[in-house]
Amino acid sequence: MTDSLVSIARALVFIVVALVLCAVIFSIAGFSAELMFSAILDGAFLRNGALNHALRWGLPLFITAVGVAISFRAGYFNIGAQGQFYVGAICAAFVAEWTSGAPAFVVIPLCFLAGMIGGALWALWPGLLRLRSGADEVITTLMGNFLAGLLLVYVTSGPLKDQSGSGQQASSRPLDAAYRISNSLGVSPTIIAIAVIVGLSMWLLVNRTSFGMMSGLAGRNPTMVTWQGAKLWKVGLASFIISGALAGLAGTIELMGPNGRLASGFLPAHGFTAILIALVANLSILGSAVAALFFGGLASAALYLPVIAGLPSSAIDIINAAIALFITARSQLIDRIMRFRSRANG
Amino acid sequence: MSETTPPVLDCHDVTVRFGDVVALSDVSISFASGAIHAVVGQNGAGKTTFARVIAGLIDPDEGSVRISGRDMPKGSVNDARRAGVELVHQNFALPPSFTVAEAMQFGGAGGKLYTRSQLERRWQAHLDALNINVKAGQRIRDLPVESQQSVEIARALVTDAKLLILDEPTAVLSPEGTEKLFERIRHLKSAGVTIILILHKIREVLAIADTVSVLRGGKLVEGPVACSGIDADKLSELIIGPSARPLDEDDRAALTGSASLLHTHVGASAQDGAAPPILDMKSVSSAPDGDGPPLADVSLAIRPGEIVGVAGVEGNGQRTLVRALSALAEVQSGTIALDGKQVTTMPLQGRRIAGLRVIPFERNVEGLSLTSSLWENWSARKLLQGSLLSWIRPSALRSECKSALDTWDVRYATVAQRAGSLSGGNAQKVILSREMDEDARLIIAAQPTRGLDIGATAFVWDALDKARRRKCGILLISSDLDEIMDICDRVVVMLSGRIAGTFEPPYDIARIGAAMTGVAHDR
Repeated sequence: MTDSLVSIARALVFIVVALVLCAVIFSIAGFSAELMFSAILDGAFLRNGALNHALRWGLPLFITAVGVAISFRAGYFNIGAQGQFYVGAICAAFVAEWTSGAPAFVVIPLCFLAGMIGGALWALWPGLLRLRSGADEVITTLMGNFLAGLLLVYVTSGPLKDQSGSGQQASSRPLDAAYRISNSLGVSPTIIAIAVIVGLSMWLLVNRTSFGMMSGLAGRNPTMVTWQGAKLWKVGLASFIISGALAGLAGTIELMGPNGRLASGFLPAHGFTAILIALVANLSILGSAVAALFFGGLASAALYLPVIAGLPSSAIDIINAAIALFITARSQLIDRIMRFRSRANG
Repeated sequence: MSETTPPVLDCHDVTVRFGDVVALSDVSISFASGAIHAVVGQNGAGKTTFARVIAGLIDPDEGSVRISGRDMPKGSVNDARRAGVELVHQNFALPPSFTVAEAMQFGGAGGKLYTRSQLERRWQAHLDALNINVKAGQRIRDLPVESQQSVEIARALVTDAKLLILDEPTAVLSPEGTEKLFERIRHLKSAGVTIILILHKIREVLAIADTVSVLRGGKLVEGPVACSGIDADKLSELIIGPSARPLDEDDRAALTGSASLLHTHVGASAQDGAAPPILDMKSVSSAPDGDGPPLADVSLAIRPGEIVGVAGVEGNGQRTLVRALSALAEVQSGTIALDGKQVTTMPLQGRRIAGLRVIPFERNVEGLSLTSSLWENWSARKLLQGSLLSWIRPSALRSECKSALDTWDVRYATVAQRAGSLSGGNAQKVILSREMDEDARLIIAAQPTRGLDIGATAFVWDALDKARRRKCGILLISSDLDEIMDICDRVVVMLSGRIAGTFEPPYDIARIGAAMTGVAHDR
C-alpha cells in the first residue's frame, strides 16, 4: 500500500516537472505559461461540471488502462490497446446492427459481449504468436493497431456506412437512442457502474488470486516461475485476453455512450493515453483510477487551451507526450541505477 | 630476493568500499618477485576485489599500489598492463564466438588489420611456445574449460607479463586439470614470472605456493608467510576465524579444502536399504538441450535418507540432468519414477505436488525473482500447488512466510523487501525455506553452496543433513569435490551426459578425478 502511494507521489512529481517543461516551451514560443496553467486547472478541475468531463474521458480510459496494466504486469508489452479498442467497438456496432429492433435489455448485453470478445480476439493472435513462436508482441500489437484502424475505415465507409452522412468523416449509422447507455456528454450511472465493477474485479484478480501473484512474479522473472512449475503460457494467454477484452469493453462504451456511432479514426489517442495511465500508475489498479481521472481532466482541458491561452487544442498532445517522456525516462533511469548498483555489489 | 630488487607488488593501506560494504580494509602487503604467492580466504573475504585492484580494474578508495617500485595511477587498467600486470578472471572473459587467434589478438593488443591465416600463424607459434595444445583456428566455445583457461593464460602472457594474477583458477578444473595447471605455473615461475594465485583450498595452496596470505572479512589477517612454515590446521583456523558455530572436524576440512586425498569420512547415513527408492531413473536419454550435452542412458536410484552426489567437470550434463528431473528438458527414452510413481511425462507442477523440490543452479535467476518481495518469492511453490484461480490471503501468506524465514534464520527487515536486497547466503536460505518443507520427498540441490561464505555453507550442509534424517532423498550436484565427499553417501561422476562411475565411501579423490576426465571407467 505505502509502496503504491510512494510511486503515485513520484509520478505526480514527474507530471509537474513535465508541465513546467511544457510551460517553458510554450512561453519560448510566445504563449503565456500562466494562462496555460490556468486553462489546465480551470478546464480540468475547477470549472463547473469539470468532474463530469473528467469522468466522461477518464472512465473508458481507466478500463483500457487496467487491461494494459494486467498484460504489462505479466511481462507482455501489449501496446495494441488502440486496435483492440477499435475492434471491440466494431464488433459491438455489427451486433447492434443485426439485432436492431430487439429490446434494449437484449441488445445492450449482446453488444458488450461482442465488444469484449472482439477486443479479446484482437489481442489473442499476437498473444498466440508470442507464446507459440516468440514473435515480439510489441511489433505485432502495434501492427494490429494499424490493421484495426484500416478495418474501421472500411466498416464505416462500407458495410455500416451512414448514407445520409454529410460530414467529411465516414461514419456508421447512429445507434437507436434506446440502445445508448449515455447521452453525448458521456457520463451515466451505467458507465460508472461498469467502471467500478471492472476496477473491483480486476483489483481482486490481481491482489487476491494465485493468478495475480504468479503473473506479477512471471512478469519480473519468467525463469524463476518456470522452475516453480508454472505453465507460463496459461498466465500469458490469460493476460492477453483480459487486456484485449477490457480495451474492447471501453470501445463498446464509447460506441454506445458518448459517440453513438462509429466514425473512422475516432479517439485515435485512446490506447496510448491508456498505456500512459497504466505506466504513471506503476501498473496498479487503484493508481490507474486516479491517473485516469487526471488524464480525463487533461483531455477536457484540451477544449479550454485555445479559449483561455490561445494555444491550439493539440497542445494537450504535447503535454501528454512530455509526461510520457518523463514517465518512461523514470523507469529507464531507475533500471539503470539498479543495474549499476548490482554490478558494484557483484 | 636481493636487496636491490623492489618487491613486484607493494600495496599500502588499500581500502575499497561498495556502498556500505567494506570489501577491503587497510590492506598493506608486498610480494617478492619470482615466486608463487597464494591469497586465500572464504567467499566474500575480498580476494577478487584484491586481484582487481592490482589489475587496475577497481579504483581503491584509499591507499596506493606500487608495481616494481613504481606508483600506479589509481584504477588504470592500461597502466597496470604496461607495468606487466595481467589478470585471468574467475569467469572467463573470452568471447565464445571468437577463434582462439582472434581472442588472443583482440584481447591483448588489438587494433590493426590482419588476415585470418596471418593471425592464426602468429598465435599458433605463441601457443606452441607455451606448450598449450590448442589450434588457433578453433572457436572458444568449442574448447573444453581446461583449454579455455589455458588460452586465457596464453592471452595474459601475450605482452611481457611480469605479474600474473589467477583468480580461482582451479574452480572449474578436475583434479587432474589442476595438476596440469600447476605444472604450467611452475614453468612460468622458472621463466621469471611472479604469480599471484587466488585460491580457496588449502590443499592446493600447500601444493604449489611459496608464500600464503590470508584475507578475512576484507582484512589481511596473515602473510605473506612462507608455506614451509605453516600447516593446514593453522591455515584453516586463520581462514575460518573465530567461528560462530562449532564445526565438526570433517566439515572444517571440507570447507577449507584441507582434507587428505583419501577421504574416509562417511556421512551420518540415515538410509534404509530395504525401502523402495524415492527416485528411480532408468536408462534416461534426453534431447539436446542447449544447456550442455544430452543425457545418455542415465540410470540412478536414490533411496530414502540418502544423499547422492553428482561430481563432474562443469558442463558434462549436470544441468540437463536437473532439467530432465524437473520436466524442463525433454526425455526421449527411459523412465523416471518418483516415490514409486511414474512421472516420466508429468509436468513439473505435478512432480512438485508429488514431492519434488529443486534448488536450482542460478540462485538469482532460476531461484528467486530479485525484484519481487520475499513473501511473493516464498509463496510461489505453495500457490502453484493449487489452481491459478484460487483465492489467496496475502496477509496470511506474509505471516506464514515470516515464520518460515525466522525458522530458517534468514536476516531480513520485512517480508515485503525485495529478494535482491539480501546477501547470497540469506537469499539461498529463502530458497531452502521454500524448497525443504515437510512435504518434500526428493530434493535436488544444484550447487547449493556456490558463492556462499563458510557460515552459510555449513548451514546448507546442516539443512541437507536434517532432510536426510527425515528420510528425504537428496541429489546434490556440486563442482566442489570436498563438499561432495564430505556429505554424500554415494557419488556418481558425470562425463559427457553419461554416468562415468559410481563411488562409495571411503572415497579416493584420485579415482573420482580420473572418472571426471574419462581416463578410467569405474564399474
